[in-house]
Amino acid sequence: MLETFNFRVILEYMPLFLRCFWATLWLSGAGLLGALVVGTLACGMRIGRFTLLSWAAGAYIESIRSTPLLVQLFFFYFGLPSLGIRMSEAATGILALTLNSGAYMAEIIRAGIQSIPHGQVEAAVSSGLNYLQRMRHIILPQAIGVTLPPLLGQAIVLVKDSALLSLISLPELTRAGQIMTSERFMPAEGFLTSALFYLLIYYSLKALTHWSQKRLIYMQT
Amino acid sequence: MIEFKEVHKWFGELHVLKGITLKVAPAEVLVVCGPSGSGKSTLIRCINRLEPIQKGELIVDGMRVHESKTHMTKLRAEIGFVFQQFNLYPHMTALQNVTLAPIKVRRIARKQAEEEGRRVLAKVGLGDKLHQYPAQLSGGQQQRVAIARGLCMKPKIMLFDEPTSALDPEMINEVLEVMRNLAREGMTMIVVTHEMGFAREVSHRVAFMDFGELIEIAPPEEFFARPRSERTRLFLSKILTH
Ligand SMILES: Nc1ncnc2c1ncn2[C@@H]1O[C@H](COP(=O)(O)OP(=O)(O)O)[C@@H](O)[C@H]1O
Ligand SMILES: [Mg+2]
Repeated sequence: MLETFNFRVILEYMPLFLRCFWATLWLSGAGLLGALVVGTLACGMRIGRFTLLSWAAGAYIESIRSTPLLVQLFFFYFGLPSLGIRMSEAATGILALTLNSGAYMAEIIRAGIQSIPHGQVEAAVSSGLNYLQRMRHIILPQAIGVTLPPLLGQAIVLVKDSALLSLISLPELTRAGQIMTSERFMPAEGFLTSALFYLLIYYSLKALTHWSQKRLIYMQT
Repeated sequence: MIEFKEVHKWFGELHVLKGITLKVAPAEVLVVCGPSGSGKSTLIRCINRLEPIQKGELIVDGMRVHESKTHMTKLRAEIGFVFQQFNLYPHMTALQNVTLAPIKVRRIARKQAEEEGRRVLAKVGLGDKLHQYPAQLSGGQQQRVAIARGLCMKPKIMLFDEPTSALDPEMINEVLEVMRNLAREGMTMIVVTHEMGFAREVSHRVAFMDFGELIEIAPPEEFFARPRSERTRLFLSKILTH
């Protein structure tokens, strides 16, 4: 069986895979950045004092978390144009990843903020620190420590989810496997190569998680 | 310095302060005792509006705390608050804990704030722990950092909510010693505590609270020798015998 495994073809398709690897990296990277911004904003709105904003953020988070990413992606790709909103495929893909992951990140950040014992906030209030000063000096420095590992976990999920973008014909890693399969009919070689590149991203992010956990360990005591 | 006039406080349906009237003079040390759940914490938490009151008047250092338009940040800077659970910032060293508010709220230059922080930490006996994190300190040491954090703001009033209740017995004295010195220096203090030795020796008056009411308030000699209310007597007999 193994003698039928064709390494030569993989080499031949390597330029395609590298291009697509790069596409997965930047699409995910852009989605990640967007998700962090959206997640922070949504979390701020959710726990803030303005009822309407809090309700809106809650509705956003709930509706994303209760529906499949694929449905969201198809809604942006097919649904929005039918409503007269047109975007490039890449923009559509990044938007879907951003809004999807943003909802999960909002909840992760919220959990991080709420893990800070309320007594510290009271101590800060008592010494006259205002809301922004408390956020800046007490809450966020600690919340980031608690939040970083689950945020990186969510980043890994996001990279894997970006495979769905192949369905809107973006040339990313999964799509590369499909292309090779359809041109040469070598699905084993094609998708295994895709998988190896995902593995590479996964281990890099995991190493980053370990590193950050070690640096932040003193906060857990 | 601090004046309660017919102050009422509810938590939802629960009537926690039932018409408290109380005056604390500058440089006075008032000890508040009473059974758990009687409203002692709530009483002192109202003073810097960690809890808002619903009825009555509360005037602190000339500011009308009961009026919602009164801006509290400035007043809070004048009031140090020491909690039962210390509530230090765990990601900051002792020195950073005590200099944060002077730098951010009082807008004192960092160098000057650190100098003052060192001085005050040395005064509470922690001159060699400036760069330790709270997790590296014992309970008694953490509580002394918390007191120093209050003092570094040069407050006019210090409030203590059972500052020694979370401590192992052998650490209680080092904290009380710091508080004794503070009282001698003329700080205005309200101390919620069951340390009756401290009350006898240091306080000017002792108050007894029960079910949200101030049952009795008197100088310590009188309070301990001739409690007027039956409930005070019962409470004292319970805590003094064990
Ligand atoms: N944030 C709160 N919400 C609702 N009830 C509270 C709250 N804080 C305190 N209480 C209640 O108010 C009463 C007085 O509490 P507290 O002032 O903490 O008493 P003490 O300090 O004398 O033990 C208790 O019955 C307590 O359960
Ligand atoms: Mg209490």
